[in-house]
Amino acid sequence: MAESAQSLWYKDAVIYQLHVRTFCDSNNDGIGDFAGLMQKLDYLENLGIDALWLMPFFPSPLRDDGYDIADYTSVHPNYGELKDFKAFLKVAHDRGIRVIIELVLNHTSDQHAWFQESRSSRDNPKRDWYVWSDTDDRYKDARIIFLDTELSNWAWDPVSKSYYWHRFFSHQPDLNYDNPAVFEAMWGVMRFWLDLGVDGFRLDAVPYLVERDGTNCENLPETHTIIRELRKRLDAEYPGKMLLAEANQWPADVSSYFGNGDEFHMAFHFPLMPRIFMAVQLEDRKPIIEILEQTPQIPENSQWCIFLRNHDELTLEMVTDIERDYMYDEYAKDKTMRINLGIRRRLAPMMDNDRRRIELLCVLLMSMPGTPIIYYGDEIGMGDNIYLGDRNGVRTPMQWNGGWNAGFSQADPERLYSPLISNPVYGYQAINVESQKRVPHSLLSWMKKLIEVRKSTRVFSRGSIEFLRPSNHRVLAYVRQLDDEKILIVNNLSSSAQAVELDLRQFKGSIPIEMSGRNLFPRIGDLPYLLTMGPYQSYWFRLRRL
Amino acid sequence: MAEESFLTDDLLRQLISVGEVDLLVGIPSLNNVATIANAVAAAEDSFQHAFPRERAVIVNVDSGSNDGTPDAFLNASSHQNSRGRGLTSLRTGHRVVARCDTPSPAAVFRTIVATAELVRAKACAVVSPASPGLSAGWVENLLQPVCRQDFDFVAPLYARQRFDGLLVRQLLYPMSRAIFGRRIRELLATEFGFSGRLASNCANRDAWHEASIQDSPQTWMAATAISSDFRCCQSFLGPKVRPAAGPPTDLVTAIRQAVGALFWCAESQQRFWMQRTGSEPLSTFGPDHELTDEPANVNLERIFELFRCGVAELSPILKTLLNPDTNTEIQHLATLDERSLCFDNTLWARTLYDFAGSYHHALLNRDHLVQALVPLYRGRIYSFFLRHASSSPAEMEADSENLCLELERQKPYLIERWKKPSEVVI
Amino acid sequence: MKNTILRGLAQAYENLVHMIADFLPRFVTMLTIILAGLLIAFLLRKILRSILHLTKLDRISEQAGASHVLRKAAMPSMSEFLSRSLFWITLLGFVLLGISVLRIPELQEQIAHLFQLLPQIVVAILILFVGILAANFLSRAALLTAVNAGYRSPRLWSGLVSFIIWILTISMALEQIGLARQTVVAAFSIVFGAVMLALAIAFGLGGRDLARQTLDRYVGNRDREKEEEPSPL
Repeated sequence: MAESAQSLWYKDAVIYQLHVRTFCDSNNDGIGDFAGLMQKLDYLENLGIDALWLMPFFPSPLRDDGYDIADYTSVHPNYGELKDFKAFLKVAHDRGIRVIIELVLNHTSDQHAWFQESRSSRDNPKRDWYVWSDTDDRYKDARIIFLDTELSNWAWDPVSKSYYWHRFFSHQPDLNYDNPAVFEAMWGVMRFWLDLGVDGFRLDAVPYLVERDGTNCENLPETHTIIRELRKRLDAEYPGKMLLAEANQWPADVSSYFGNGDEFHMAFHFPLMPRIFMAVQLEDRKPIIEILEQTPQIPENSQWCIFLRNHDELTLEMVTDIERDYMYDEYAKDKTMRINLGIRRRLAPMMDNDRRRIELLCVLLMSMPGTPIIYYGDEIGMGDNIYLGDRNGVRTPMQWNGGWNAGFSQADPERLYSPLISNPVYGYQAINVESQKRVPHSLLSWMKKLIEVRKSTRVFSRGSIEFLRPSNHRVLAYVRQLDDEKILIVNNLSSSAQAVELDLRQFKGSIPIEMSGRNLFPRIGDLPYLLTMGPYQSYWFRLRRL
Repeated sequence: MAEESFLTDDLLRQLISVGEVDLLVGIPSLNNVATIANAVAAAEDSFQHAFPRERAVIVNVDSGSNDGTPDAFLNASSHQNSRGRGLTSLRTGHRVVARCDTPSPAAVFRTIVATAELVRAKACAVVSPASPGLSAGWVENLLQPVCRQDFDFVAPLYARQRFDGLLVRQLLYPMSRAIFGRRIRELLATEFGFSGRLASNCANRDAWHEASIQDSPQTWMAATAISSDFRCCQSFLGPKVRPAAGPPTDLVTAIRQAVGALFWCAESQQRFWMQRTGSEPLSTFGPDHELTDEPANVNLERIFELFRCGVAELSPILKTLLNPDTNTEIQHLATLDERSLCFDNTLWARTLYDFAGSYHHALLNRDHLVQALVPLYRGRIYSFFLRHASSSPAEMEADSENLCLELERQKPYLIERWKKPSEVVI
Repeated sequence: MKNTILRGLAQAYENLVHMIADFLPRFVTMLTIILAGLLIAFLLRKILRSILHLTKLDRISEQAGASHVLRKAAMPSMSEFLSRSLFWITLLGFVLLGISVLRIPELQEQIAHLFQLLPQIVVAILILFVGILAANFLSRAALLTAVNAGYRSPRLWSGLVSFIIWILTISMALEQIGLARQTVVAAFSIVFGAVMLALAIAFGLGGRDLARQTLDRYVGNRDREKEEEPSPL
């Protein structure tokens, strides 16, 4: 059955990721809420984004920034009520912005009613909703993910006097998907939100759904069975809705989550992200080309999600030890910046606030194959606070203006859920939306323009990619093609000017038209096409044949 | 009038793409299609394991191979990450081919040195694809001291069969040590390392055109490093194995190249070494020196005969070159029977210094002068064989050390011979 | 008759006395000229020697390598060589001038002929000079090669090389000054050609197998001999 363009909206979207708490506070309690977010939808519409990915806003003890869910079908009082969410959703849809919410399939908070019941007695009907054991020596081959805080994947429950399984924090017991009731319960949760009108789910921690002895308890076949069933039901009852997998694995392993087009619609391309940072620091295109060449083909109705930064640490799980050491030494010299196996910094500070480097990375994000996700604040170059615990340093309040609480809230500054970034370089007085809106050449203005150019054609979202390999390794050049439309992207990854000769003979006769200024460049002939590029400069050329 | 550059346009174009590098490995070649891939693999393996973050380039300078060696170099397969996941290496590896019209080692090395300067390489190594023992460890051991410890010249050290390399152990090393005051064992190795600083220093010198060093440019580079106060060291590589294919090394050619170069270096650096006495040990990475206990298959009779006949036939020439006392002793040695021949350290030292002094005063055509040393060298190693037929490697080493000390002790004699020529009698 | 004879003798005696009286002054003039020439040549030699010492020509010559060449040819230093050359040329000039004073037509003719031959003589001398150097150099090279390669009778080889070069040099020198030119050229060609032909016949026909065995043995020996010596490097 041919997919309609409408049902493949996620392939062409530009997604904006935010946490409600961080965006805008409407009731002056120092915490962002849905009403405040609703007020800022104009801004988001103006930016040009197509979908919002909201981080967990469910009732939760907030010991893992909301990923420890205590009630799947409600809204945390900090952020408003369900009616506020519904109102927000309607306004978002009115502006053509779709909404993707989180669904933490793998685990709940230990405060969730299900767990409270499950732990209360071995005979409780919900006992089997979680993974219990009398010993802690099962599933020995499973790695510990939160290495900085957890010593084991088993935790002792003094209430039920037995161990329970948790792949993440110990206060996040894993659900037991060997119990069909669990599956049905989670499907019920999904239906609840789908009925309200949400457009998709980011399913958190998907690889870890099922455990088996003698395996590493990741990516097991049973997990895929669960996902296929979810997808089948979704397509049958809610066509046009989207499932996005959070599976921090090698591309070959992640691609299995697309199935034959019958599992996830989208999945994050985790291994590409650190390699973009690596390539720019090395001034060498090799990391990017190699990882994309190791990325297998995916079904036609599937799509990678690509991103630069997000709410978590910049994960260095899917890199070699040499690569990790390099990234630490280059981007996280201060050990405070490191957490688990990653780096807890934002985009702009990692780029040393170099506007050219920030732009280069955004250009790569917008031109590589996949649906790009912008992390809130990166469009204005927000900074971070590595001295806040966990990964909270990249989850500070959005900086709207240089005034009271950066325009985020009218509450007392001491009441804010997190301190503002206030240093002279990245502080809200220097970096804010209002200032940048007034300046046509600000980063915000530039980002808006970039998104506009990207959305002017479907080549970026749906086209193929072919790498050119000029002898100058500091230049990353590739051609995106969809049907007859071709776009040549050339990026100088180096901090110094470069000359590059491109072999474009296959496009002989085409006229390169630079996409932002729409200026003509010399026609392509038989000779190598010479370009000279400034530091970190990029060209996007539409190759027109007339 | 502008001097024509010896670097081809094709090479320069390749270097533009390479840009600046941290490491450069030079591989000279001439019909090495069977072994060049191993050399490439050794270099790339060492980059990946020991220098994963450094920018690197491998330069093949080919002297006119007709077996497709340069193509084999470019097409040699890259090292693959055994896990098959993640990057094979952090950085793009570069391979550059330079074609050298003049097939002399000096022209080849000059190309490597000039290339190193152009790409601003910080650490460089030269390796030979013909060395059977070449491995990633060798490359690493040559680059590490320069890259990490800031040395400028790295001479190799090998584990040798105990009767192997006697020209090095009985002549080149002791003599260079006494003259230049630094204990570099291998002055004529096919593998060595150097820094970008030393490359810049050597790149534009006229010495590259000098006939005496055309076949032994590394000797000159070492002497330059010593006399210009660069930091020198030695690094242990592994066993020195003779290539299975190809003709054995010819002694006369080896002496002409090696001793000729050494004498020329002494000639050109006289102001430096005349002030020096004694010798300094160098920083050494790995074992200092190793001799293995393998037996040697040597025709001693022939060596003795060549010595004896050589001395007899060349007596007019030797009379010109040698001090009368030295000459008398050597003539006497040539009359002894094969069991009695003892070419001791003192006589050998004086012989070498007489030759060096005669070289300086050009009492004879210099190439002929060096050739005249061959029979005497044979006499010396014959005597060495007799003395050490059943010695342990340690005993042989001790004797070599005594020779070095004797040469150092007799350095004033060399200076005297240097300043005062003998009478010319032909 | 007696008177005729006596008159004849007296006439002859008188002629002789006239001849001597006529020749003697010229002879004395010649001697004077030569003596003067000798003195002048000595003086010039001395003056040139002093000038060349002042200009340090010997040192320049040493640096240029010319002294080296002269030493090989068993010649004195450059300044001495030039001074002596000037001496002999001056003396020769005066001798020729003196001889010309004698006014002996045949002798004058020969002297004129000698002057005509002078450029060729100079070239012939140069050829001999170069020949000496080449013979020295190549014969020594041959000796060293033969000794170091372990050939039997290395001096024979060295002598043979020297001999060949000498023959060639002398032939060229003689041919240059035009002395029995055709004979010399023919003789050289015959000898040289005969030697080559003999060698060709000996190896090519009569000693074909021997030639092959010798070559095989030579090549094999060379490698084997190298194998029997320890590797020097």
